[in-house]
Amino acid sequence: MPGFDFSNYNRNAALHARGVPLPKATSTGTTIVGCIFDGGVGIAADTRATSGPIVADKNCEKLHYISPNIWCAGAGTAADTEFTTALISSQLELHSLSTGRKPRVVTCMTMLKQHLFRYQGHIGAYLVVAGVDPTGTHLFTVHAHGSTDKLPYVTMGSGSLAAMSVFESQWQPSLNRDQAVKLCADAIEAGIWNDLGSGSNVDVAIITADKTTLRRNYIKPNERTAKLRSYVFPKGTTAVLNEKIIPKGDLGKFISVEELTEEGGDKMEVDT
Amino acid sequence: MDRLKKGEVNMAVTFKDGVILGADSRTTTGAYIANRVTDKLTQVHDTIWCCRSGSAADTQAVADIVKYQLELFAMMNGKPPTTQTAGAIFQEICYSNKDRLSAGLIIAGWDERHGGQVYSIPLGGSLHKQPYSIGGSGSTYIYGYCDANWREGMEEAEAVSFVKEALKEAIKWDGSSGGVIRMVVLTAKGADRHLYLPDTDYKVRHQ
Amino acid sequence: MPSPFSINGGACVAMVGKDCVAIACDLRLGLQALTVSNNFPKVFQYGDNVFLGLTGLATDVSTVSDLFRYKVNMYRLREERHIAPRTFANLVSSSLYERRFGPYFVSPVVAGLDPKTGAPFICGFDSIGCIDFAQDFIVSGTATDQLFGMCESLWEPGLGPDELFETISQALLNAVDRDALSGWGAHVYIIEKDKVTKRLLKGRQD
Repeated sequence: MPGFDFSNYNRNAALHARGVPLPKATSTGTTIVGCIFDGGVGIAADTRATSGPIVADKNCEKLHYISPNIWCAGAGTAADTEFTTALISSQLELHSLSTGRKPRVVTCMTMLKQHLFRYQGHIGAYLVVAGVDPTGTHLFTVHAHGSTDKLPYVTMGSGSLAAMSVFESQWQPSLNRDQAVKLCADAIEAGIWNDLGSGSNVDVAIITADKTTLRRNYIKPNERTAKLRSYVFPKGTTAVLNEKIIPKGDLGKFISVEELTEEGGDKMEVDT
Repeated sequence: MDRLKKGEVNMAVTFKDGVILGADSRTTTGAYIANRVTDKLTQVHDTIWCCRSGSAADTQAVADIVKYQLELFAMMNGKPPTTQTAGAIFQEICYSNKDRLSAGLIIAGWDERHGGQVYSIPLGGSLHKQPYSIGGSGSTYIYGYCDANWREGMEEAEAVSFVKEALKEAIKWDGSSGGVIRMVVLTAKGADRHLYLPDTDYKVRHQ
Repeated sequence: MPSPFSINGGACVAMVGKDCVAIACDLRLGLQALTVSNNFPKVFQYGDNVFLGLTGLATDVSTVSDLFRYKVNMYRLREERHIAPRTFANLVSSSLYERRFGPYFVSPVVAGLDPKTGAPFICGFDSIGCIDFAQDFIVSGTATDQLFGMCESLWEPGLGPDELFETISQALLNAVDRDALSGWGAHVYIIEKDKVTKRLLKGRQD
């Protein structure tokens, strides 16, 4: 597979040595949790993405698809969790086609841990992997350095202590589906209210043997109230020195556009 | 985030019929307990197990590689590997990557030829065959206890009690050790797992 | 030694309106306190539908805009059609993540209308390609704190092209007036289904 391109590495290392601070990547401050119940597993996450002290995204998606029956919640550096889960999802689909079997959670976990261990923690992905496969229901945590744990209930991220306190007081073995979802949502809310790095809404995914349900924005406890007045400016407020209107048809004068006629049903409708 | 470390206590002792491994179950990141029911006794072959201490990622990765190599060995040679072989493979990895790894391992196994054996591999990657071995941050507190109470050729019940009491002491004194006590008894009959919970003062064997 | 993102200065913002999107940037290029140019636009057009705003280290702004010009041209040659904004966003994300351990010091913003449905599309990225799909607005540059404040208060959903122009212009102008490293004029693009309007704003030249 095409890997990382390190050509800028020397330049950036030299700059850093001269005191230039490294760029601040978007981090998911985050609270993520997972909980096994009778018949499946549920995972949940908050929806705040931070860049230093600023909230970069108020409603980001931290629940990632790995395969129809395996989903993953990600904390840490947002780009790393996004790309690592996408990479392993792609590798797992090829693996599943090659073996002719439904993908297994342990396979996903092993691929993730071996990928992350290779980069010795520099890929900042802290993941909760959950799914149901022919061998049963599984829930794992994967840390950026490549270690994994197999547990009945897990929390990760900056809000993990707040969420774990909810789990440790209210978890019992043999929960049913609704109890597990409520427990996960409560744990995330504990993170949202008490952890500064987590906030906004709760997303939940419930995975059972026959199907997976993704509840985006399952709870929205932080909806903004309507503004007291409209701040729309009257037309002409802004002083304009120069205006150029480019109608669609005339675009050809500014960029070279050659419309090629498409014959037959030859179009590649890849992007939907 | 601090690296996931298994500050802990673990040990392996030989006894009359084989060997027993024991460990606590705490994994910490800094002062937070990331997993309070960790299983630090990892199987690398039917009757060859290891106790992992140090960096969780490093020891899991090393154990996975050795497990793969031993499985291949058994397939190619048509017979199970000896504990000494496992020890040698572990040593090769730990020594050649000594600058990159943070792993303290105790390998214990039972094989037909030599019975129960214990090999310890501390941080630098050296291999030491010993009648019993203790490891982890909590082991410093039980050197005296073990030295005083160890005997060659104990019965299974005595040996289980020896390991359990030693681990109890270490858990008591060491902050980074705790949780449950897990043990694996390796004999000609195979591998037998034990679990003791603090709720019952580690007296009752659970499943 | 300052952060690579604040040596040259610059600001960029994109907003969603009713069947239209707007993207705007300031025109300053500086070397810390010294202003080198008041005509360094940071919004680039790829195809008839996709606009990319780039703030950050100016050399990387130039390099990355050329890199995408090459990639989009190849896309056009191979696919025989214009690249859609959502596709372009994924292209940007992958290209940036490829340099995960030696990143380009840029904070890109993509804006456009979906070629099939005409739905407005905007998104922002951090320097290693994490996509922020926003429904309202995206900000980037040295005046992000000020821009967040302006956009959060001025923006409302369903603004028409003229209203959107006023809103995005006021948001940008007033935000950069409180940032020493941005300003010196602005370009605002209002992108609608059948036309693109590019305006040069009269701003403070200090």
